[in-house]
Amino acid sequence: MTKQHGTRRGLLVVLAFATLIVLAASIRFGAIDFSVADIRHALTSLIPGQPEPTLDQRIFLELRLPRAILCLFVGASLGVGGTLMQALFRNPIVEPGLVGTSSGAAFGSAMFFVLGGVLHLSASIWTLPIAACIGGITSTYLVFLLAKSREDGRASIVMLLLTGLAVNALFMSAIGFLSYIARDPQARSITFWSLGTLSGANWKSVVIVSISTTTGTLLALRFAKQLNALMIGEEEATYLGVNVNRLKWIVLSANVVIVAIATAFTGVISFVGLIVPHILRMLGGADNRYLIVGSALLGATLLSLADLIARLSLRPAELPIGIVTSAVGVPIFITLLRRRQYVF
Amino acid sequence: MRRILTVASLAVVMFSSSCSRFHNAPTVTDSKDARYVVISPIYNEIIWALGAQDKVVGVDLSTTYPPDVKKVTTVGYHRALSAEGILSLHPTAIIHDNNIGPPQVVEQLKQMNIAMKTFTAKNDSFEGTKALIREMGAYFHKEEKAEELCKTMDAQKAASLEKVKQYSDRPKVAVIHFGRASNVYMVVGKGSGGDGGGVSQMIDLAGGDMAVESNGRGMQRLESPEILAQANPDVILLTDFGYDRLGSMDQIKALPGVATSNAARNGHIYRIEENVLNYFGPRSGENIEKVAAVIHQK
Repeated sequence: MTKQHGTRRGLLVVLAFATLIVLAASIRFGAIDFSVADIRHALTSLIPGQPEPTLDQRIFLELRLPRAILCLFVGASLGVGGTLMQALFRNPIVEPGLVGTSSGAAFGSAMFFVLGGVLHLSASIWTLPIAACIGGITSTYLVFLLAKSREDGRASIVMLLLTGLAVNALFMSAIGFLSYIARDPQARSITFWSLGTLSGANWKSVVIVSISTTTGTLLALRFAKQLNALMIGEEEATYLGVNVNRLKWIVLSANVVIVAIATAFTGVISFVGLIVPHILRMLGGADNRYLIVGSALLGATLLSLADLIARLSLRPAELPIGIVTSAVGVPIFITLLRRRQYVF
Repeated sequence: MRRILTVASLAVVMFSSSCSRFHNAPTVTDSKDARYVVISPIYNEIIWALGAQDKVVGVDLSTTYPPDVKKVTTVGYHRALSAEGILSLHPTAIIHDNNIGPPQVVEQLKQMNIAMKTFTAKNDSFEGTKALIREMGAYFHKEEKAEELCKTMDAQKAASLEKVKQYSDRPKVAVIHFGRASNVYMVVGKGSGGDGGGVSQMIDLAGGDMAVESNGRGMQRLESPEILAQANPDVILLTDFGYDRLGSMDQIKALPGVATSNAARNGHIYRIEENVLNYFGPRSGENIEKVAAVIHQK
């Protein structure tokens, strides 16, 4: 046990370093490459009294830096969300969007693309994220509401899982309908949104996502031990003194908030939330305290790596990040899966 | 580490939001040192036709004509742009036709104070195209060349219409287009405006009638066989991508509603280049003749 504890600590330190290295690369390379001196000059231009920043310096300060940092937080959100949901549902194929969050967010954005023009919603930096966030939270609330038992107001794990699948299907069909009535450019906007991109990052989104991610992760950490107890079974956890019903709502709410907010700013980014917890479990076991911290770090690292590839492969144009996350994630995942005897 | 990052990012936010010294919308005028990123296939075609291309430093992915544009850096698909990618080319202005995205990136470009230019004339008809060419000619100081292009267009149109008069028939034409965004076959309806708006006008100029009504929409999905069967077109045109995708006449006849039409019975189903039919631009005059040659062939 202590040996495994040491291994986990070592793994987390390695992951933290990996995060920093990828962050450094993510800050330096892109459509424009910034040298360390460029970065220093850009940062000093912020000090009052210095000459106004040049266009390149502003690109660094207002586009590159917020994007690199947003990427860390969104990656961490997806990783932690995946860990929480897999722990709660005790099911290996669960993704953070399972309880309707990402399909609802996608529906919100599709509504914005198709009806935004009709309703004369101005395309400020807020309207699209707000529409997506409302969609994500509404659909998740719908899942909660429908999964609740009529007798005692509790939702069993199986009810939540199946209701989540059903509500996802409902919202996917609504998105299908919106794409059907959409004009060509709107339909394309919906397609691209569902592939995700970090190109819209700005400091305001960084602040919001950083707050939601940090709060969600800290909250998750507080309940990590209870989630460990839940792994042996709902009834067993109750005997161990865990209020299972309360734990469910807390974990689901934390997940909804971090995933809906991150998705609102970036679009749907698939696969990260699914594989990150698995990779960590293969490397260091299933203790949720380790998994939550680890999935925040690994999620951040993987997403930053994917974003770097998205930016560099066709520069100065970019690929949607959803294409890259799967392309990068799957080989890593399969390699690990084949090398180890892995039992969820 | 996350906490430190949060604090650090907050600090930078406060810094950067205090830097509100970049807020006056720039005006756009052409100059010798201008560097343009042009996100619109038709704008690019006209710029190249005017001979103003030396100031274009970036184009969008859909711009493919004339072949020379391939020498210019592409900034990606017009609905999936990246601000950094565009700005890395150091443009003095971005010229676009209001069909750009995603919205957050457009907002970023505005905040970076990059000048944006959209021309008011639209290439939604033959005359509209000439107006656009003149407007762009004035902007790029190529007025004479613009007049010359318009004259050529008029002359080619007149010559084409002369040839169209030779054909005595006036076939009912249905145009089937493969919509690549939604992966379905669509039938183009009569009437201008919207997606496929150029098609009706071109078919009319080439001496044909549109077989299908549009019901207020440019294109509709070819999922109800009744639409086409009832229209019973004499000629069916498939745009190049959709035609090649199906490959054989049997496959095309298997599309809903096609088999029972006059066109299918008499074998009048043809392939046509999308950018010849659904397009208004400097080449429209000569395109009329090309379309006429396809729809009147026996």
